[in-house]
Amino acid sequence: MTTKSPLVFSILTECGTSKARVSRMILPHGPVDLPVFMPVGTQGTLKGMLPEQLEELGLQIMLANTYHLGTKPGTEILQKAGGLHKFMNWNGCLLTDSGGFQMVSLLKLAEITEDGVRFQSLNDQKAEVMLTPEHSIEIQNAIGADIIMQLDDVVKTTNPDKERIEESVHRTTRWLDRCLKAHQNPDTQNIFPIVQGTLYEDLREKSAKDHIERDVRGFAIGGLSGGESKDDFWKMVHLSTNILPKNKPRYLMGVGFAEDLVVCCALGVDMFDCVFPTRTARFGCALTRKGQLNLKKEQFKKDFRPIDENCPCNTCKNYTRAYLSGIVTVLPVACHLLTEHNIVFQMNLMKDIRQSITKGKFPDFVRDFMLQVYPTKNYPSWIIDSLSAVNIKLK
Amino acid sequence: MKFYVEPLSKCTQRLGSLSEIESKPTVNIKTPAVMLHTQGGQIPHITHEVFKLVSRKSQILQIPLAGMHTFKEAMQYYEGTISSFIGSKDSLSCLTLQDPCNITKQGHHSTLKVPIWTKNGKVYYDAKSYMDVVESFKPDIYFLLSDGDTNISSSEKRIAKSVSNTMNFYKECLDRHRKSDALKHSFVIAPIVGGYKQISRERYISFILEDMKNVDGFLIDGLHNNGPEAEFLEFNEIEPIVRCILNKIPTEKLRVVQGCWNPVNIINLVELGIDLFDTSYCHILTERSAAMTFAIEITDQTNTYEINLRDSKYVDDFQPILIGCECLSCTKYSRAYIHHLLSVHELLGPILVMIHNVYHYLRFFEKIRSCIQNNTLQTLQLSITEQFRNHQKTK
Ligand SMILES: [Zn+2]
Ligand SMILES: [Zn+2]
Repeated sequence: MTTKSPLVFSILTECGTSKARVSRMILPHGPVDLPVFMPVGTQGTLKGMLPEQLEELGLQIMLANTYHLGTKPGTEILQKAGGLHKFMNWNGCLLTDSGGFQMVSLLKLAEITEDGVRFQSLNDQKAEVMLTPEHSIEIQNAIGADIIMQLDDVVKTTNPDKERIEESVHRTTRWLDRCLKAHQNPDTQNIFPIVQGTLYEDLREKSAKDHIERDVRGFAIGGLSGGESKDDFWKMVHLSTNILPKNKPRYLMGVGFAEDLVVCCALGVDMFDCVFPTRTARFGCALTRKGQLNLKKEQFKKDFRPIDENCPCNTCKNYTRAYLSGIVTVLPVACHLLTEHNIVFQMNLMKDIRQSITKGKFPDFVRDFMLQVYPTKNYPSWIIDSLSAVNIKLK
Repeated sequence: MKFYVEPLSKCTQRLGSLSEIESKPTVNIKTPAVMLHTQGGQIPHITHEVFKLVSRKSQILQIPLAGMHTFKEAMQYYEGTISSFIGSKDSLSCLTLQDPCNITKQGHHSTLKVPIWTKNGKVYYDAKSYMDVVESFKPDIYFLLSDGDTNISSSEKRIAKSVSNTMNFYKECLDRHRKSDALKHSFVIAPIVGGYKQISRERYISFILEDMKNVDGFLIDGLHNNGPEAEFLEFNEIEPIVRCILNKIPTEKLRVVQGCWNPVNIINLVELGIDLFDTSYCHILTERSAAMTFAIEITDQTNTYEINLRDSKYVDDFQPILIGCECLSCTKYSRAYIHHLLSVHELLGPILVMIHNVYHYLRFFEKIRSCIQNNTLQTLQLSITEQFRNHQKTK
C-alpha cells in the first residue's frame, strides 16, 4: 500500500461543447466539488461569519493569506495551536497563497532578487525582511492549509518589459523547485505551481510546460486579473488551460465576478478566489444574477422584497431590502448579513454551473445566464469571442 | 400580555412572569428577566441568526428609538410588526426612547419635546410624533414618552421641567393609546421621573395614580443619563430614591430599569423588587474587549471577575474565556484566537466576546431566579460583591 495522496482528483462529467468539466477533489479536510469559488478569509476569519455558519452553508474550502498570518499571529502561535484549522475552528479545506503577491501589491518598497522578495516590514521596527521561497513554505507549513502556493515572481500584467517577464518566468520555476524542496508536509499539503508570463503567449506556454514536468497535483494560473484588457485576459486563460493536463485541477487566481466565472468555467478552469464578494458586502452591495444592488440607495427605503426572492440564504429569508438599506454601512452586523448573501450567491452560481454540466446543458445555462445580465443582448465582444472559442454561440 | 407576580413573601425581591401574549400564546418569560439590548434592530455584533446559536429561548428585544428613527417612514408602509421588520418575528419587542448604551446628552431639552440622537444627529419627538411611530411599529411592549433627562446632580428647575413635560406626555400618549386599534394588545410601561428628589417622584406618582387604566408597568427613569457611566453608579446613591418609588407604586405591576448596571447592582436592584433589565452591560464590556468571568456557581472554575482579551498575555493562551462555560465561544474558540481577532480588528473578535457575555449574563439571571426561589439570593449577592471588590483592588 502506498500512502494516501493528499489530493485525489476525478473528473465526473465533461461538457460536450466547451472545455468545462465537473470534478471532485478530495483533500485531507474533505471533498471539494469543482468548479468552486473560494471566499477569502484573510486573517483566519471570514468577515464576521462563524465557521459554524459557513459549514451550514455547505462551504467546502476557503482561502487565507500567508503574509497576514505570518505577521499575526505568526508561525510560533500557529504551530502551538496545531495549525490554522484548529486555531480558527474550521474543519473544511483551506488554501493559502504564498504571500508574494500581497507584498508586491501592498508594499511599495518590495524589491525582488534571486533570493526572494525583500520588503520593509509593516511592524513597528520597520525592519527589512526577506521572504524567500523557503520561508514562504515554512509559514504555509505552519498554517497547514490543504493546498499551498509556491512563491512566484510577480510582474504586473500591464508591464510591457518582455525581458523582465521572461526573467520572472524562469525565476518562478526555479523558486518552484526551491519550494518543493523545502516542503515539510508533502503527505498532508499540496504545493501548486503558478503559471506566469503575463500576456506573452510564448512565455506563458514556456511557464506552463516547465511546471507540468514537476511532480505536483494541480496548477494555478497567476498574473492575470491585474488591469489587463478582457480580450487579453480570456486568451491567456484559454491558452493556459489548453496546455495544462486535463487530469489535474486548474486554479485561476483572483477572479470572482459572476460573468468571469461563467466564461472561465467554459474555458476549463476549476477553482477561483476573489475578495470582491465579501469586500463589496461591507460597502452595502448585494450580488444578484441581474447585477449588483447598492442597498444604500434611496430607492430601497420602502422596498419590502428580499434581496433576491429565489435566494435560499438566511438574509433573504429574514430581511427586506428596506431594512438592510437602513443598516448597511451603519451596523457591523449588516456586513455579516450581506456577506452571507454574497457567499451563497457565489456558491449557488457554481452549483448551477456544475449541475448544468452534469445534465449536459451547460451551453444553455451560459446563454440564459448572459441574457439575464444583458437583457438587450448587448454582449461585450470579449464574452462573445471567448465563448465562441469554446463553441458556445451567444447570438 | 399579562404580568403575574408570584404570591409575595415578606422579602421585596420577587418572581413573576410575562405571559398570555396575543401573538405568541406559548411564550412565558420569567422575571426577574433581562431584555436583549439592540441597536438598529440587532443585538450589537450578533445577528438574530447567530443568537439562535446562543439561546433558543424566547426573548424580549429592547429596541431604542434612536437606532430605528431611520425606518420611521418605511414603517408607515410596512404591514407587519417591528419584530418581523428587523428579522426576528419570534421575539417580543419593547420599544424604548433612549439607548442605554449611549449617553443622553444633557441640556438639549425643550418644552413638550424630547431629543434623541440618531445617526443623522439630533431629532426631537413630541407626544404625537412619538405615538405615530409606536402605532406603525406595533411593539409588544413600549415605554410612554418621557423626559428623563435627570441624574444625581440635576437642578430643581430641570427636575420640575422633567416632571411637567412627562405629565403632559403621559396624558397625551395614553389618550392616543386608548383610541388605537393597532396598539390594543401592546403592554404599556409608564416612565416615572423626578430625578433624585423624593417630593418630585411622589408628585409624579400621585399624578399617574389618578388615572392608571391601560398601564401595565413602570420604568424608573431619570436615574442616570445612560451610557457607560451607569456601570459605576454607587448603589447607596440610588437606593433611597428607588425604595421611595417602589413603596408608592402598585406591587402587581411590572417594574423596569434601563441601563448598563454592573452585576452587583443588578442583584441589589432585584432585591428591592425590580423585574426587568437589559443587556446593555454586555455591549459596554464587549466594546472594551472585556469578557465576564465572575463565578455564578461556586463550582465555576475562575478566579477573575472580568478579563480583557486584548491583553498580550492571552496571545498563546489556548484555554476558553471561561473554563466550563458552555457557550459557543467557550466550547469552540480559545482566548488566543479571540486575542488574535481583536488585535487585527476582525469582525469576528467582538462577535465571540459578545456571544460569551450575553450567554453568561443570561445564565446570571437564571441563577438570580433560582436563588429567589430557594431563598438564597443573599449568598449570591455576597459572592458577586466579594468578587467585584477583589477585582476593583487588582485594577
Ligand atoms: Zn440571499
Ligand atoms: Zn462562554
